[in-house]
Amino acid sequence: MGGSRSRRATVAGRAARVPGGRRLAWLLLAACLAAHPAAAQTGDDEFRTLVGELAGANLRQKEEIAGRLLATGHGGVRDVLTALLEDRLFEREDDGRVFVVESNEEGLATFQLLDPATLADAGTIAPDRLDRIITNNRLRRFLRTGIARFDSSSPDAGVRLEAVRELLRSLDDATLDLLRERAAVETDPDVAFEIETALSVEALDDPDPGVRLAAVERLSGRLNPVVHNRLSALVRTTDDGGFAEPDEAVRAAATDALWQIDSRRNVYSVLETVAFGLSLGSVLVLVAIGLAITFGVMGVINMAHGELMMLGAYTTYVVQLWMPDHIGVSLLVAVPAAFVVAGSAGVLIERTVIRFLYGRPLETLLATFGVSLVLQQLVRTVFSANNRAVTTPAWMSGALRFNEAFALTYNRLYIVLFALIVFALVLAVMRYTRLGLDIRAVSQNRTMARAMGVRTEWVDAMTFGLGAGIAGVAGVALTQLTNVGPNLGQSYIVDSFMVVVFGGVGNLWGTLIGGMSLGIVNKLLEPFAGAVLGKILVLVVLILFIQRRPRGLFPQTGRAAESV
Amino acid sequence: MNANLQPGGAVAAEPRAGAPRRGAAPGGRDPWREKREAAAARQPSVLTGDVLYLQQVTVSFDGFKALDDLTLHVDPGELLCVIGPNGAGKTTMMDVVTGKTRPDAGRVFFGNMTNLLTMSEPEIAQAGIGRKFQKPTVFDFLTVFENLELALAGEKSFWRTFFARLTPRDRERIDEVLETTGLAAKRDTPAGTLAHGQKQWLEIGMLLMQEPKVLLVDEPVAGMTPQETERTGELLLSLAGRHSVVVVEHDMEFVRSIARRVAVLHEGRVLAEGGMDAVQSDPRVIEVYLGA
Amino acid sequence: MKAPALRLPAVIADRASVAFLASLAVVALVAPLLNLAVPESSPLHLSSYAVGLIGKYLSYALLALAVDFIWGYCGILSLGHAAFFALGGYAMGMYLMRQIGTRGVYGHPVLPDFMVFLNWEELPWFWYGFDQFWFALVMVALAPGALAFVFGWLAFRSRVTGVYLSIITQALTYALMLAFFRNDMGFGGNNGFTDFKDLLGFDLQSDATRSALLAATAVALGGAYWTCRAVLASRAGRVLRAIRDAESRTRFLGYRVQDYKLWVFVLSAVLAGVAGALYVPQVGIINPSEFEPINSIEVVIWVAVGGRGTLWGAAAGAVLVNYAKTWFTGALPDVWLYALGAMFVGVTLFLPRGLAGLLPVRSRDA
Repeated sequence: MGGSRSRRATVAGRAARVPGGRRLAWLLLAACLAAHPAAAQTGDDEFRTLVGELAGANLRQKEEIAGRLLATGHGGVRDVLTALLEDRLFEREDDGRVFVVESNEEGLATFQLLDPATLADAGTIAPDRLDRIITNNRLRRFLRTGIARFDSSSPDAGVRLEAVRELLRSLDDATLDLLRERAAVETDPDVAFEIETALSVEALDDPDPGVRLAAVERLSGRLNPVVHNRLSALVRTTDDGGFAEPDEAVRAAATDALWQIDSRRNVYSVLETVAFGLSLGSVLVLVAIGLAITFGVMGVINMAHGELMMLGAYTTYVVQLWMPDHIGVSLLVAVPAAFVVAGSAGVLIERTVIRFLYGRPLETLLATFGVSLVLQQLVRTVFSANNRAVTTPAWMSGALRFNEAFALTYNRLYIVLFALIVFALVLAVMRYTRLGLDIRAVSQNRTMARAMGVRTEWVDAMTFGLGAGIAGVAGVALTQLTNVGPNLGQSYIVDSFMVVVFGGVGNLWGTLIGGMSLGIVNKLLEPFAGAVLGKILVLVVLILFIQRRPRGLFPQTGRAAESV
Repeated sequence: MNANLQPGGAVAAEPRAGAPRRGAAPGGRDPWREKREAAAARQPSVLTGDVLYLQQVTVSFDGFKALDDLTLHVDPGELLCVIGPNGAGKTTMMDVVTGKTRPDAGRVFFGNMTNLLTMSEPEIAQAGIGRKFQKPTVFDFLTVFENLELALAGEKSFWRTFFARLTPRDRERIDEVLETTGLAAKRDTPAGTLAHGQKQWLEIGMLLMQEPKVLLVDEPVAGMTPQETERTGELLLSLAGRHSVVVVEHDMEFVRSIARRVAVLHEGRVLAEGGMDAVQSDPRVIEVYLGA
Repeated sequence: MKAPALRLPAVIADRASVAFLASLAVVALVAPLLNLAVPESSPLHLSSYAVGLIGKYLSYALLALAVDFIWGYCGILSLGHAAFFALGGYAMGMYLMRQIGTRGVYGHPVLPDFMVFLNWEELPWFWYGFDQFWFALVMVALAPGALAFVFGWLAFRSRVTGVYLSIITQALTYALMLAFFRNDMGFGGNNGFTDFKDLLGFDLQSDATRSALLAATAVALGGAYWTCRAVLASRAGRVLRAIRDAESRTRFLGYRVQDYKLWVFVLSAVLAGVAGALYVPQVGIINPSEFEPINSIEVVIWVAVGGRGTLWGAAAGAVLVNYAKTWFTGALPDVWLYALGAMFVGVTLFLPRGLAGLLPVRSRDA
């Protein structure tokens, strides 16, 4: 949503700067769409009338109207069609006029109307007084191609690249003519590469085997799915036992090219799996760091850890309620807020319950489980048992595309980054601050630490608060991945304990490596075993692993370990 | 099976009142000498080799070498005292012998044939090596009698113990040990309520019930009153000869009173070995331990 | 070697045991009597609903007893006992499903409804034999017993103890829950088994059957109590307590600790399986949510509330907590989780010996 919105904004801004580029596009289009009754220029009123016809039309008629709109060469065509594609074209119930809406994001009280021809402000209106102009897949495909034709001459190379890729999906004579013209003037190597791909794909139908062979060789290793489809079609056998491609040399080249493509794709799919695994692993690391502190350092089994994450998630929700106009910033505000909320809850739990139970880990397990039930019921009482929606800010959506076969969504990237930052901060706190020193001292020798003047009671409370606060921060991240509800915490508790136990208790690096490797293993298993069976397998492997190494990957050694 | 405690019992029962306390009395008479000599006299006349032999044993924790190429032997029926400063590897040495810690390198033999490194703790215990921990560890919620019952030598599988009944002979043995350790009056008291010294004695009693060939005794007199210490010394001496006894102790006076042979451990190695006097005059020993 | 049977009366001769077994006998006799023989108009009449409820409580009590046996006397805190309970329940459920026969919605003579619904052609191999009651009974003990044996053999051999053990038992039941949620496992997926008709030809809806099931559960609970006491009264029982209090010391006395733990773990799992098998016909449904980790943790709190390490306290705790749950969810549904949570915290903080600790009757080994 946000990505396309920002793109639209760029296009609109550019329209003001370089009208010349646009004009060229209209002319080109007018030439390509000779089938339609073309008009060199169309007035705004006429254009509005044509857009207005969309209101009553059926899907097939809409496609035809869109075609006519393209043929008008009017300056608003691209924006109107983009709006139609993005479900932002509405009919006003009062008078049946059609408007572009600036944003149709859920939860807005009023929609900002824009005039389709000029994009001028046309007032605001309540959403329920508007009817959306409905599209279907076929129409959307048509619209995308139409818009791509505009974009293929955009001054922004990125936009041109997307446009050519879009056009590549539905090649016809008109498109090819357009692409040939572009090929002559294209300066950006990536765009030129894709245009060459398109033209080579077209050349696969050439009657001359020599041309076909050259095309196949050019296409070798190219990742565009269209290329793969067309090349596979070449080597396929037909019903009568012959080959779709009569020439043997071309077939051999195509087989080779396909092999090239497949092996490159495999590399990227492994990369993608690893990336997925790392992002899942980051989630695991995030939810486990807090536990690693309370469990690993203090020997407290905190079954309410999940509920502290839940508190963090609800904090995010409340922060968003307070600042509905700044969704993007709210997530950043929620991080410290969640730390404080969950951290204070943690300190409270420590002072009222846990401090009476040190040295009795099984008892802390039971008592904190009781606390977790109370916290769950508490949010049910305050927020009701229903899930709450936390909005994803614009900067979290979209994806970073490396090529046709490999893209990473921003939320995955951010979660990895976030986990690493939190990890680094915790590590820094433990290693370089007075609190960290105290925590380590108390965990290693409580009596000696007390004798040295460390206020062990205070350190206990702070340690637990730190672990709880990190749980809250993890909760903020979870709002972007899962529903915010009273059961949010429970679903992670088994996983997070497994990470800590796998990594080795009392070792933050173990938690990092343990979480990341569990994430990757999970994602590697998924394609073979399916999500659920994969998870079961991971659990079984973990259970077996703990038999082999009862103290995890990075065990504490020496006599100190005996007392854990 | 030959563990008749008569000598020990007799020694313990002997009135000690009026005798000078341990250590070399001003008069020059060593009251312990005769007991040491008696223990030595009980040693089997034909030596069958070492009863326990540690060869070049190395154990390291995170790079810190708790034992560094340690070689040590225990003769049949002897009473060996192991001394050394904190962290010298005394307890780790016991951990290795009883199977609690696996060494990184080296060999540990029991008798001439039995490789202890391939055995688990219960197997080592069954083979005849008993251990008393530094911190007295008894089963707090069981009575003194039951503690001794569990230590009874014999088959120890689940089903055997499920069907096990005390034979009159078993009872006799337990009563005997109760006498020896002076805990007869506490027979039906939960072990958790015993005084510290009594727990030490109970644990030694449990060792006796196991009828081990080798007793490893970690700091037996820590926290004991002088009287208790004296009785413990007598008991240990009475055990030597019939059993090999290895005592780890900090209390130098106590060691001097009971030991014939002393091994000084330092940084995981044997620094010096021999009679108490020889060891005490060794300059290296004085430097690292005694002189400090 | 004399058979232990000769000494067994002494095993349960203490006052608490006598009182526990006597009250069990009273419940087993009086509840059916008040239900079947007293006319409905009488104030003494016990409703069929109450009979079912008591039967359910008693099967929970058996589960709690199984958990207390290993936790209270051997220090093994299992957070996965619901898995054994559910496995026993599933074994019984498979028998009950096959008893439905042609009375199912699809009327298939062999296949249970959910298999017909999934277009399965034939019965999976692991459903063979479940038309025989004796076979189902064997599986009720064998399925949880075998799982406990394999799991325990691996875990105890490598000395996974304390909290680590608790966490991996939790992972075990969690993995089983995920597995049983899958339709292709052949256990009815999400919905599990329900719509049972009869058991050994007796209608499950009839009052007489319900009363008989209640009595059977009481007998099973009494039998389990007696069995556990017999183990605890033997020297093996003293070894168990020795392991609980000083595990490595026990090892240095020459006991193979892992064997002891394994056998009591298996026995405890079998008892939990029996409890599940008695539970399913009385509540009329079994589904994968029985495997949820939270269920196992709840069992632990029953034990903690009643009094760990007494057996009878655990059983009483199960009945009390579940009665409270029934009452709260009926009268004050929103307060139940607060109450349960407060119970967890309060008992661990203020009643480490549970309610049993408040009573003057105290067993020495508690």
